[in-house]
Parts: sequence; structure tokens; C-alpha cells
Amino acid sequence: MLSLGGVSKAFGAVQALRDVSFDCRAGEVHALVGENGSGKSTLLGIASGFLAPDAGTVEIGGRRRRRRSPAEARRFGLGIAYQTYSHVLDLTVAENLYLAVPKDVQPPRHRMEKWAAARLEEFKLELLATAAVGTLSLVQRQLLEVVKALLANPKVLLLDEPTTALGPPEVEQLHKLVLERSRGGVGIVYVSHRLPEVLGIADRVTVLRDGVSQGTFDSAAMSEESLVALMIGRPLQLAFPERDETARPADVLLAVSGLQGDRFGPIDLEVKKGEILGLAGAEGNGQVQFLRALAGVERPSGTASCNGHALNTKSPLSALRAGVVLLSGDRAGESLFPVLSVRANITLQVLRRFEHWGLLRRRQERRTVDELVRRLRIRMASVEQPVQSLSGGNQQKVSLTRPFLRGDVKLILAEEPTQGVDVGARFDIYEALRAKADEGVAIIVKSSDPLELAGLCDRVVVMSRGKIVDEIHGAELGERRIVEAIVGSRVTREKL
Amino acid sequence: MKALRGWLPLGLMTTLIVALGAYAAQHQSAFLTRYNLGNLLLSALPLALVAIGQTNALLVGGFDISVAALMTMCVVTASFTLQPDKSWPVLLAGALAVAGVGFATGVFNATLIRVLRLPSIIATLGTLSILEGASLLLRDHPEGFINPNVIDALNTSVSFVPYAFIGVVVLAVVGDLWLYRTRTGLAMRAVGLDETSSRRVGLATGRTVFLAFIICSLMASVAGFYSAAQVQIGSPIIGNYALESIAAAVLGGASLAGGRGSFVGTLLAALFLTEIDNVLPLFQQPTEYAQMTIGGLILLALVLYQAPELIARFRSTWVGVGRLRAQAEGEAPAG
Repeated sequence: MLSLGGVSKAFGAVQALRDVSFDCRAGEVHALVGENGSGKSTLLGIASGFLAPDAGTVEIGGRRRRRRSPAEARRFGLGIAYQTYSHVLDLTVAENLYLAVPKDVQPPRHRMEKWAAARLEEFKLELLATAAVGTLSLVQRQLLEVVKALLANPKVLLLDEPTTALGPPEVEQLHKLVLERSRGGVGIVYVSHRLPEVLGIADRVTVLRDGVSQGTFDSAAMSEESLVALMIGRPLQLAFPERDETARPADVLLAVSGLQGDRFGPIDLEVKKGEILGLAGAEGNGQVQFLRALAGVERPSGTASCNGHALNTKSPLSALRAGVVLLSGDRAGESLFPVLSVRANITLQVLRRFEHWGLLRRRQERRTVDELVRRLRIRMASVEQPVQSLSGGNQQKVSLTRPFLRGDVKLILAEEPTQGVDVGARFDIYEALRAKADEGVAIIVKSSDPLELAGLCDRVVVMSRGKIVDEIHGAELGERRIVEAIVGSRVTREKL
Repeated sequence: MKALRGWLPLGLMTTLIVALGAYAAQHQSAFLTRYNLGNLLLSALPLALVAIGQTNALLVGGFDISVAALMTMCVVTASFTLQPDKSWPVLLAGALAVAGVGFATGVFNATLIRVLRLPSIIATLGTLSILEGASLLLRDHPEGFINPNVIDALNTSVSFVPYAFIGVVVLAVVGDLWLYRTRTGLAMRAVGLDETSSRRVGLATGRTVFLAFIICSLMASVAGFYSAAQVQIGSPIIGNYALESIAAAVLGGASLAGGRGSFVGTLLAALFLTEIDNVLPLFQQPTEYAQMTIGGLILLALVLYQAPELIARFRSTWVGVGRLRAQAEGEAPAG
């Protein structure tokens, strides 16, 4: 039904996919697994026509795709349920369903609501057809997304992480739906982080790692352990700064209790002074929202206290005043001013310090900047260069300078601190974070790289569906253990 | 809540039109005359037409601020192609030329916005400057009379209601039926509300935005005919229709974020804005008040139309604060 032959795709210098072949037969469920950044999303993007491959072919239902066109892919019989959904939130359930189906399936406009109600019944979704999608819960939105894709009667259906918001009963409901369709001759491509689910539903599994296919296997012959081994492969030799293993008892700096907000919670957590805590989990399980709530970017309920005082999370500024610094993962969008110079980006938050009679004392500013540049080993031609002309790793280092300038920092929240950073620069970043921790600062690192978390952190907590489901520390802390926790081999066994 | 949001602008505009009309009729006998009412409807036509066009641009989440300059350009073009001594076939070709200017501008704007990916406000600002310059180049002072037969034809009325006005009413009603009762209308609102999701479910987002801007410009060129009928000469300076057309669309219920709007609402708002302009001179008030009133009304309307959402937001914030407080109080004795 769907067949990709020798597909390669590069984004700039990053080779996202290298000569990957993948096929999905009619009536089978073919799972695609891999860590974050292993190329799954790119593969789906190419299959669904949003991305054009640099090399290789795509066939849908036996027809060769000629150009980059989502509409053509749909015509050929490809349906897709997006991880981030495709709902228009201000329109009703009925309107969303109506727009998603091909014209020949659409009823006359005035019968739309009755038609939609009948379809919802058919899929056993207890939803009001006239409700705006924006008023639905995430669980309902996710199920609706799958139903929308199914209503278009696809020959092959791509499900991108269809269960991130779902609890065990809904997962079961979804799997029943999916299996029903596959028995009816639809090819299903099932992308998920959750290995127990994958092994429970898939006929075959293809494993991706760093953009390269590790092979396709009969899922009956695979175990979670063997899949994990394929997903992480041989560990990359990476250096990490040394941890102080003697671990003196330190004071608790951050105490979070019952904190909850959009997509996460309730969360109870304590972080000690000088501790680096890792935040692991598959993408979209509330890690980002949790960090942002602490930084005052999103409004949570529940309480958090920092250094004994209640943490004010009303705005980013109040969190900053309390000594909480967020290092956003959205480098270009949120943490840097790409057209400003390296110097300006570094000192922007503390300019008042260099002020004298309302004017900036450039020499003093330069001295501070130069020292930081040396300390973080930022490589560039001049500090007056615009930040956007630096390499990704060096840009990331510039965005990491902020906590070093403020003496009052107590808690650093780092989102993907080494995203897009080459191996050499990574060590500099790890070292800088560790040095800050040794000064007594607490650090929470959200990362999708388990190897990094295992090497850098003193302790790692794993989030799933917005809650902390596992905590790993001491001798147990290792890449494999983290990946196992993320793919849910431990948790779901307890809960199902 | 959703239904309320849709009907609120229509109800508000109707109420304001009637209230202002009643007040004026009571105090000035000149207001409720056939002459004045006919005049009011005629002078509302250019704004109504261009605002209905503007509603299309707003529906897909854009702006078109080049409409005023386009109307001027159309008047200037008409002063060449619709001159008094021309025969009917030549006049027909001339009218097509005016519409052609509108169509070409629409294609130009849409290309800037969809193909070159410029923000619509910047793209149409550029178009505005080009058109203004071109108009001044063609007519640096008012010159070139417009064919009086054409003007008479445009102004034909039954009793005091111009045929053209009836046409605009029909257009607005049909437009709203299309927008809220057909598949393509729904698709257009979906594109305006959420382009990414619309593309994901396979809607032709690019074509929708393209069409919206072309319709917007075409409507502006039709509005240009009626401006020409009013000024009757090739003047390079025509009123402030860019802002007024956006004002009318917003007062009529269009959302600046796209996806919401009503052609009937826009028409009612255009009528109301013209009514303010019409009434003030009757009371010997300076027309500057009109401008200030319109500005205040737009702000008021924006706040009012968003009230349901604002209330919802306040409520959820208060619930959150309340929860925090309850927790703090619950913990205080323990600690």
C-alpha cells in the first residue's frame, strides 16, 4: 500500500534520513520506532507529501508520487492522524469532520450535523457534534483526530504518536478501531514511543536510529529489550564532567507540590542545591509545559517554593526576580535576538550594571563579555558579529550565558541545552552547567537525549502523560534504564 | 455563546442605525425626507461595497489597505475611459478596463502575499503607494468629466432606494448564506481560523487566500464606479476608505485574527458610519466629531464582541487564583 524506496533527506548539515526503505502492506499494522530525532517525523513528512525527499521514491497504493503535494498523497489514498492534530478549534466537531472527508463522502451541507452524529456513534465516540473542538479534552481531540483520518477511507493510514494523551482504556479503544480497519484491508503505519503498545498491536516493526533503518522485524520475534537495544545502538563515546559522587546532604532549593497546568500535573518534586535533575520522557508528555510553568511563562495551579519562599509564577519577570532562569529550547524564537551582536545578546538582561550617568560603559561591558566568551569557549570572529552568523552550537552557548551574568540565580531550567550542538561544544556546555551547580545552583535539564541525561544529571525523573512516573538515581542511572522508562516497559506493566 | 457572538454585531448595528435615525428624525425634519434618505443610501454605496470586499480579506486573516488607492485609481481610469462623448460600446469597454484595474491589483496583492510570503499589511501598503503615485501621474489635479449617462444609470432608483443599493443588500445576504451554509464558505472560514490544520485536512489554502484578495480588489473597483458617480470628475484624491472599510468590517463582526465575519453585518456597519456623516451636518456639528465617534465605536465594538471570550478568560483566571488561595490558607495553619 505504501512503499518508500531508498529515501534520503538532509536539513542543512543534518542528515535526517539516509537511504531508508519502508513498506506497509494491506491489512497489516507496521510500527515505526526510534528515539526522538531518529528521523521518524521526517519519514512521515515525506510519506504524506509535506516534504520532498532528496533521493528515493514514494509509492502509495501502487502509484508513484511525482511531486511534493499533500493533496496528491491524499488522492492516492493516504490518511494521516497528526501528533499535533489537524483540528480547527473554533469550529464544531461536525464542521471539522465534514471538512476532513473527501467530497464524494460529504453529505449535503444541511444534513452535516446529523451525519456527523451518526459517524461519532459508529466510532463509539461520545461527543456532541455541535460542540466546538476547542472545548474538548485532549483525549477527545486525539481520538477525534484518528476518526477524522479514518473517515476519509484511506488505503494506508499513518498514525503519529496517536496515544500521547490517552490512558489505558482509551488506548484499548483506539487499538480496537485500528485493528478493525487493518482487517478490512487498510495498511496502518503506527509510530509510537510506547513499546508495549507497539508490540501489542503491530505485525512488523521497523527501527530507525540517527536516520538509518536498523531493519524490519516480525514483532512476534521481538521483545522490548531487543527493540531498545536497536534504538540506542552502541553508545556514542561522549565525555561528561565528573560528578561529585560523595553527595553531601544539601538543602532543598525547589519544592513543588501538586503543581498542575495545561498538559501536566499534578507534580510533586524536590530539587536540592547543587543538584542537576534530568527531565526525561517522550516528546509532548508535559515536560516543556512543566518547566514553563515554573518559569512563569504558563500559569499553573498548585504551589512551588524556591529557597523557602513561595515561588511567584505569575509572569516570567516575577520568576526571574526570584532567581529562576529559563533557557528556552526555541533558540531563535525565544532566547536570542538573531540580528543583534553576540555582545548585545549576552548583556541585554543586565545592562543596568554597566550604566553610568545613563550611558553604557563599553569597556566594562566588553570585559564581562570577553570573560564569558572565554569561559564557555564561544568560537567566533568578533563579539560584534550578529548571533545568527554563528554555528548552532555557539549560538546555544551565547543563550547559555545569561545565568552566568546574574549572581542571584538559584534555579536554572534548561530546555534541550545541547539541541543541534556538535559533540565538541557539548562538553563545554555540560561543564558550564556543572560548574554552575557546584556554586549551589539547582538545575533542571529537559532533554530528549537519554545518553546526555545519564551522563550529566545526578538524578532523572521520567514524565509520561503529564505525570512523573519514574525516578532514577545512583548506580541505576544509565541510558538503557532511561529509555526503558520512557518507552513505558515498566510503567504500563504496573498500570495495565 | 457561539450563536450570540455571531448575532451580536448585527443586532448592535441595527439598533444603532434605528436609534440614531429616530433621534435625528425627531429633531430635524430634514432627515426623514426621501431626498435625504436616497442621498444617504447612495453615499453609503462606495463604503458598503469596499467594506464587503475588505471582509473577504479579513476572513482569511489578512488586511487590504490598498483599497482606497485602488478606488482612486479606478476613478482616474474612469475619467479617461468613461468620458461624456463616448458611445455605449466604448463605455462598456471602458467599464471593463476599470474592473480590469481591480482584477490586476488583486492578482498583484495575492501574489505578493501567497507567493512571496509578505505580510498582507506590508504588501498592500506597497501597492497603495504605487497606485497613489500612478493616480497622481495620470491626473495631478481633478480633470476629465465622467459620462453623465453612466452616472444616471448608476444612480437609478425605485422611489428613494437606488437599484444598486438593493443589489448590495442581495449580495450581502447571498454572501452570508454562502459563508455559513455552504461547504466552500465553511472551508474559507476554516482557512482563516487555522491555516495549518486546514492544509492538513487537504483544503486548498493558497487558492482560498488568492481568491479572497482578488474579490477584495474587484469589490474596491466596483466601489470605484460609485465614487466616480459621486465626484463626477477624475480626482486623484478620494476619501479615507482603507481604514473606514476595515472599521465597517470589524463593527460588522469580522475578527482581525481571521475566520469570523458577516457580509450583512459589514453592510449594516457601513450604513451606520455613513448615517453618522449624514446626521452631523443636520445638527450643525463639525464632521470632525464623526471621525472621533467612529474611532471610539470601533474600540467599544472590539471590546464588546470579545466579551464572551474575555469573560471566560477572567473566570478561569479567578478560579485558578481562588484555588491557589484556598491551598495557601489550607496550608498556613499546618505550617
